[in-house]
Amino acid sequence: MPIKWVLHWQPNAGHTVSSQILAEVSQCVESINGVKEGKWKATLSFYRPVLKEQANAAEFPRDFLGISLPEQPSKYYFVLRGQRLVLEADSTIQTIMEKLQSYKTRVALNFEGFQYQLGDFQLRVGKVVSIQSESLRGIVMEMEYRPISSWEKSHKIMGEFFDIWQEALSKRSLPGHFVHMEPNFGEFGLSGQYTLQHTAVQYATIMLQMIATAQSVRN
Amino acid sequence: MVSQNNYHGIFHHIALTGSEASEIRLLCDLEQPEPTWTVRHVGGSMRGAGADQISVLVRTMVESKVSKNVLRLFYLLGYKLDHELLRVGFAFHFQRGAQITVTVSSVNKMLKLHATDEAVPVTPGIQLVEVTAPASAENYNEVAAAVSSFCEYLAPLLHLSKPGVSTGVVPTAAAAAASLMSYGGTTIM
Repeated sequence: MPIKWVLHWQPNAGHTVSSQILAEVSQCVESINGVKEGKWKATLSFYRPVLKEQANAAEFPRDFLGISLPEQPSKYYFVLRGQRLVLEADSTIQTIMEKLQSYKTRVALNFEGFQYQLGDFQLRVGKVVSIQSESLRGIVMEMEYRPISSWEKSHKIMGEFFDIWQEALSKRSLPGHFVHMEPNFGEFGLSGQYTLQHTAVQYATIMLQMIATAQSVRN
Repeated sequence: MVSQNNYHGIFHHIALTGSEASEIRLLCDLEQPEPTWTVRHVGGSMRGAGADQISVLVRTMVESKVSKNVLRLFYLLGYKLDHELLRVGFAFHFQRGAQITVTVSSVNKMLKLHATDEAVPVTPGIQLVEVTAPASAENYNEVAAAVSSFCEYLAPLLHLSKPGVSTGVVPTAAAAAASLMSYGGTTIM
């Protein structure tokens, strides 16, 4: 399984994300000779417990996420970020959750855009939109390096590529930058060999950051 | 064709506190080199005059294979372990008008949590025989008929009843495994 970094766009103070920024980022990938390959889409759902009494809310986890990834549509990933748990399941688990009626989707987001090939790297640029409103909530970027599957061994080359990318993008003077957050995969019981569970944990981590940013803008 | 495999797994029945409807089974298959886990949701059985006329129980079932930390996930979501059972025996697979699976197993309870070494039979000397086949909304009538006719073949040795319809424990049940093996060997192969 190739290694992947999931990055998110952090707007500068006083700025928000816009489709103009998304267009500039996509153009920038093409300007460094990224070859457009096709579309990609991932989905993420926030679940909330179906409570009989609101008073019990504190007993249930707050950040319970479900994620489906384009690499493996037959699988579904649950992440309880606070409890450092990631679970891989057949996608039929979504039907089971619907039947159980104990947790319901509070917010569902789509991550969608185009993917590009750049030598041994695959880049995906995507907008984050809510399924209900289609309004732009954020911008994500996946940086995948195919020849290596060890998180540790890939760190140098991924870091170098990320620097090149940041430099290329900086010429456009956009009001923000991409951030790489590195979760402690060991805490989730994951090894150094990269799997899709690592990707799910990265998505859960950037969501937390995107929510925090959105809240700070609102306040 | 008939195929056979050993059957050895823990069935965890867990439920969300205060919600009877939200019950789920977590199956841990111990027959594999690394235990594998499956989440199984068993829905209510089909009801009504049509269902009464069929000699087998028709109900929805959804399964999902999951990674090994599934029990912890459900505990964190607020579910509690209701009880767990260890089932040991054989599974036989037949293709006869439907994909029929017959399990012959002894059901054991554990005195301590997950302590499979200390499991004791719930009904000593009596085996549980279950005949199941997957069906869809379109073909369940045909599948039910295939299961019924399959069960009739076993009738001399084994009397199978519809779950929930208590016709009593049949003393010949212990011979089920031998019966199935001879059946598979002579009639179907």
